[in-house]
Amino acid sequence: MIWQFDILLLTLVVVCGFVSLWIKDLMGAVIVFGAYSFLMCLVWTGMGAVDVAFTEAAVGAGVSTIFFIATVFHTSRTIRYNKWDLSTKFFSSIICILMGFFLMVAIGDFPAWGDALSPVNNNVAKYYLENSMEETKVPNVVTSVLADYRAFDTMFETGVVFVASLVIFTLLLQSDGRKKLMKSAFQKVSFLNVSESLIIRKACGLMVPFMQLFALYVVVHGHYSPGGGFQGGVILGASLILLSMAYDIKKVFARFHMKFMIKSLAVGVLIFAGIGLICLILGGNFLDYSALSKLFPSMGSIKSRYNAMLWVEVGVALTVMSGMFAIYTSLSSNGKFEEGL
Amino acid sequence: MVNFFIFVGIIILILMMVVFYRVLKGPTVMDRLLGVNVIGTKATVLLVVMGVIFERVDMFVDIAIGYGLLNFIASIGAAKYFQHHKVLQPRSQWEEDLTKS
Amino acid sequence: MILNIISILFFTAILYFSSSPLVFYLLNGLSICLILLGLFFFLGTSIGVIRFPDFYTRMHAAGKGDTLSSILILFGIALFVLNTGTLSIGLVLVCIKILLIINFIFIGSPTATHAIMDAGYGTEVKHWTNDSEGIKKKK
Repeated sequence: MIWQFDILLLTLVVVCGFVSLWIKDLMGAVIVFGAYSFLMCLVWTGMGAVDVAFTEAAVGAGVSTIFFIATVFHTSRTIRYNKWDLSTKFFSSIICILMGFFLMVAIGDFPAWGDALSPVNNNVAKYYLENSMEETKVPNVVTSVLADYRAFDTMFETGVVFVASLVIFTLLLQSDGRKKLMKSAFQKVSFLNVSESLIIRKACGLMVPFMQLFALYVVVHGHYSPGGGFQGGVILGASLILLSMAYDIKKVFARFHMKFMIKSLAVGVLIFAGIGLICLILGGNFLDYSALSKLFPSMGSIKSRYNAMLWVEVGVALTVMSGMFAIYTSLSSNGKFEEGL
Repeated sequence: MVNFFIFVGIIILILMMVVFYRVLKGPTVMDRLLGVNVIGTKATVLLVVMGVIFERVDMFVDIAIGYGLLNFIASIGAAKYFQHHKVLQPRSQWEEDLTKS
Repeated sequence: MILNIISILFFTAILYFSSSPLVFYLLNGLSICLILLGLFFFLGTSIGVIRFPDFYTRMHAAGKGDTLSSILILFGIALFVLNTGTLSIGLVLVCIKILLIINFIFIGSPTATHAIMDAGYGTEVKHWTNDSEGIKKKK
C-alpha cells in the first residue's frame, strides 16, 4: 500500500462517483462509470488483492459497460422528472444520507487495515494460509479457498450467474425472436444505415484469437497466478461480444448458436454440482474432493483435490462465458436476435 | 530505484487527474469517452508500474494483459451506439431546443 | 510486433554474454530515459486534451500521444525488469508478456480512437472554425 497512490486514487474515485450522479445524460454517466471501474481496479491492486483486481478489470472493462450501453440503447437516455418523483426522491435521499451516516459511524469499530490481531486473520483464514499448500498443492490460496474450502459458496455464485442470464433471456425474448431461434435461420435486416468499418473488423480479427487464448490461460493457470474460472469466462464472453459488435450477432451465432449457449450455460453448473454429487456418492461430504481418490486410485487425495479444482474452474468458465454472451445478445437486440449494438 | 517508480506513478496519476478534468467538464459525450479511453490505457501502464514497486511483476502483468486486451471494447460499444442513434444530446433535450427556437 | 521481440532478444543476448557492470548501468539509463520520454509525451497528451479547442483536435492529441507514451513507458519497464537480478527464463517471460501488452495497446488504442472519431463525425460534433467563439473571445 503506497499512501501517495491511495490519496490520489481515492480522490479520483469519489469525484467519479459524484460526477456520474451529477450528469443528466445517462450515456455520459455510463462512460464515467467506466472510468470508475478502471480506478477501482487500481485501488484493489494497491491493496494487494490481485484476484479481486483481476475480476474488476475483466468485468469492468469487458462486459459491464457494454451491458449498460446496450440497456440505454433500447430504453431512454434521459431521466424524466415528475412532481411525484421529486417528493419520493427527497425522502429516499434523506434515508440514504442517514444510512451513510450510520455506516460511517460503524467504520470506527472495524480493525485497522492489515491488523494481525483482528478476528478475520486468526480463525479460518489462518488455517487456510497455513494448510492450503500441504492439503491441496495449490500455491495461490485464493483459488484453493474459492474452489475447494468454500466451494459451496462458489457453486451458488455460479448458480446466480446461471439464473440471472436465464431470467434476462426469458424476459426479453419476443415472439419473432423465438421463431428465429427455433428455425435458426437468420435474414440480415439492414434497417439502420450504419457504416461498417473495415478497420474495426480487421483489428478485432487480430485481437479475438489472443483474447481467447489468454482466457484459456487464465482458466488453466489459476492455480499459480491471479485469475480462475470467473475471470477467464468473462474474457471469453467479452471476446464473443467484441466479435458480435464488430460484425453482427448472426456471425457469432453461426458458430455458437443460442441453443448451444443455453446448453453450455446449464452444463457448466452441472459439472460443478456433478463433481460434488460424485463426492457424495463415493462416501465423502458434498464437494469434498478428496473422496474422488477412490475413483482414481493412482491420484492421491491431494492430487485429486488439485485436479477437481481445475474441472470446477472449467465449469465456472463455461457458465460465465455463455451467461455473459446470452445477457449481451438479449439486451442489445431487445430479444429479437437480429443485429447487435 | 523504487522511489523512481513511485515518482513515475504519482506523475501518471496527476496527469490522469488533468485528463479527468475533460471527463468531468466535457461539453459533449464524445469528449468524456475520449478522456475515459486515455484513463484506461494509462491504468494498464500504472498496473505494471505498481508491479515493479511491489517487486511482483509476474503477478501484476497478467491483469495488465487483461486490460490491454479489453479496454477498447467499451469505446467500440459506445461508438456503435452513437453510429446507430446519430444524436449527440439526449432526445428530450434536443426536442426542447427545437420548440424553443 | 516482430521488431519488439527482436529488440528484446537483442538486449537479452547482450545481458547474457557480458557481465560487466557498464552494461548494467547503460541499460538502466536507457530504461530511465525511455520512461521519462514517455512521461513527457503523456504531459503533452494531457495538455492537448485540456487546451485544444474542439473534439477533433483533442482526439488527435489523445490518440497519438497516449499510445506512444504508453508504449515508451512499458518498453522502459520491460528493459528494467530484464536488468534486475540474475538473468532467468522467468524474467524473459515477464518481459515478453510486457511486450505483448505493448502490441495489444498498439492495435487496440488506435482502433478505439478511430471508432470514437467515426462516431463523433457521424453525430455531427461541431468542428472548430476561424469565426467560431474561441477566436472571438481572444480578440
